[in-house]
Amino acid sequence: MSPRRTGPSRFRARTVVPAVGVPVAIAIAVLVPMQANATVDLPDKTPEELVAFAKASDVDALSGTIEQRSELGLPDLGALTGGAGGGSGTGDAEGGGDPAASDTLSDLVSLATGSFDANVYLDGERARLQVLDRMAERNVYVAPGEAWFVDSESQTATRLSVADGADVEGLEAELERLADEATAKAEADLPDGEQLPTPQQLLDRALDRLDETTEVSVGTDGRVAGRDVYELVLVPRTDETLVGEIRVAVDGENGVALAASVTARGADAPAFETGFTDVSFAAPDASVFDFEPSDAFTVQEETLPLPSVDELRQRLAEAEAREGSGADAAADAPHPVVHGEGWATVVEFDAATAAEMMAEHRGDDPVAPATEPPFTEGEALDLLDTLTTPVEGGRALQTSLLSVLFTDDGRVLAGSVPVDALVGYAESGR
Amino acid sequence: MSSPEASAAVGAPAGVGDAPAVDTPRTAPARPRGGGLASLLASETVTLLRRRRTWAMLAALALIPILIAIAIRIAGPSGPGRGPAFLDQVAGNGLFVGMTALVVATPLFLPLTIAVVSGDTIAGEASHGTLRYLLIAPAGRLRLLSVKYAVAAVFCLAAALTVVVVGTLVGWMLFPVGPVTLLSGGQIPVGEGLLRLLAIGAYVAVSMLGLSAIGLFASTLTVVPVGAMAATAILAVVAQIVGAIPQLEWVHPFLFTDRWFDFADLLRSPPSWESFGDNALLQAAWIAVFGGLAAWRFATRDILS
Repeated sequence: MSPRRTGPSRFRARTVVPAVGVPVAIAIAVLVPMQANATVDLPDKTPEELVAFAKASDVDALSGTIEQRSELGLPDLGALTGGAGGGSGTGDAEGGGDPAASDTLSDLVSLATGSFDANVYLDGERARLQVLDRMAERNVYVAPGEAWFVDSESQTATRLSVADGADVEGLEAELERLADEATAKAEADLPDGEQLPTPQQLLDRALDRLDETTEVSVGTDGRVAGRDVYELVLVPRTDETLVGEIRVAVDGENGVALAASVTARGADAPAFETGFTDVSFAAPDASVFDFEPSDAFTVQEETLPLPSVDELRQRLAEAEAREGSGADAAADAPHPVVHGEGWATVVEFDAATAAEMMAEHRGDDPVAPATEPPFTEGEALDLLDTLTTPVEGGRALQTSLLSVLFTDDGRVLAGSVPVDALVGYAESGR
Repeated sequence: MSSPEASAAVGAPAGVGDAPAVDTPRTAPARPRGGGLASLLASETVTLLRRRRTWAMLAALALIPILIAIAIRIAGPSGPGRGPAFLDQVAGNGLFVGMTALVVATPLFLPLTIAVVSGDTIAGEASHGTLRYLLIAPAGRLRLLSVKYAVAAVFCLAAALTVVVVGTLVGWMLFPVGPVTLLSGGQIPVGEGLLRLLAIGAYVAVSMLGLSAIGLFASTLTVVPVGAMAATAILAVVAQIVGAIPQLEWVHPFLFTDRWFDFADLLRSPPSWESFGDNALLQAAWIAVFGGLAAWRFATRDILS
């Protein structure tokens, strides 16, 4: 019996079947769940019912994985600041600046606007956002009275806490009272009052504008993270804004917002989307919230400047007085001038005021080290030149959802409108 | 069952390890006859372990952690965020030598050794003219193929564990060893850290199984083992290049290299076993497809040598 004979004739049927069958089986395994996604039919709800349903959501524990994708057309700020920091190693030393503080800020900005996958854990007052980078991790741990920002790449753990002796409970009570007051007022003003819980920030923000400026409708039922969802679609009624539409996926069972996306006007794909790929509403294991920094990490302490109850009342009174005194006061007041309304709102402030406000903020903060700008003036100008393009009367930064104009006479205008509109306001305001 | 050819092959001629083509030729009468799958597997494993080439490759892999440890020992610690991942932690904790070495070895050195072993499986026998003698035994073609693949898989495990174990030992000798800092910022005791390191070694070994299956298939296509090895090694690099091009993002989840570096997920708190499972599933798909192709090719091909 020669091997040449035994091979082909004996084995062909037995081996060709698996060779063809296995890929087919894999294809079926992939395609069938896709088909299953196609039909979701939840009981119909009107937009008002859906908003009320989402508002009534009382989920306070969940764990899951979110995927955030952002194509805002923003230049890579991380690379720019990182490059400036790395390149000016000596500059940091002589400037005596605090690179870590600005790092924390840019880290938080990149968390808000970047693309990443992350695990989210929430249980009552404790929460954790675990951003899964390749071979690295960023974490935000939140517990009553303190919060940690942990970055494995720079090996730093920053603890944010309220100052000792701050009257947290009193302040909380005061804030609660104010919130109740505001809610009552808002509910009196609007039937769709605004008293949403914080986890649903995007929905909250969208609801803030739920008036005649926005067309609200219910989209097609779909599936997010394996759960049936309603889709709330918000389309601005004005075409002066860059925002085309906002879509929010609301869990069909408990009303939690599971996904949100923002699409620019005229674009096919969302410029920003975030949503759960996997979610469970069981309370996560308590150990995921525990954090004890490793010896290898640099630990920084930052104290949040909390005003006392009296200070808070005083500031609120001042703010109200300012508002009451009308537009004349607004010109001198160190708060921004507002042009337009609704989706096309443009905020204008002059650079000096902005710097003043920042300085004031730092003055309030007795513990934080005397921070200086992360860049020298020259570097800042270079950075501005790289990011912006020249337009009439200044330089502009245009992203798919937001425009910023830096005028030559030192004002800054920002809004979700085309640059041309900003240039128009800048000229009329001169 | 002890293999009767053991004594025959011990005195391999000098220079055997230099080139795959001059590897120890097998003599047909020395093969165990009528042995079960287990004895075939045992004898093939012994054959693998008796090759100088195998030991040369494992020694080269062991050099990676040794070099890293010595370099850090002499030059001092590197700052955070520079060099390969975990390099900055080596000076503070010797247990990270193995981790760093895995990060360094995974893109090229490890796949290279895997390509050599898996590309040699069938083509090596064919080039020596020993393949048809292997098939005279009533082992059957599919069974021979599975045993050859299993031996390649054993090498995957040996290669990954070599890097981890040598790295840990060298790190222990040259640096202080203490609680392991996780990516999440917390610490775990040394014992648990060692277990996680072992799990990471297993992760990397599993990562290489898909590539092994590709090598096995390539090996059934030719009687020139170097060709199969080169093709496999090149594919490993090409897959990583494709994985680095954002425009080809839609294809990334299907690449066998896609999850090669996710072993760091085991250093999170809580440890994410999900990526271990996903990686195993991905590799299983590649094994199924290329194992199937190899089986089809090997079963229908004329064995002339």
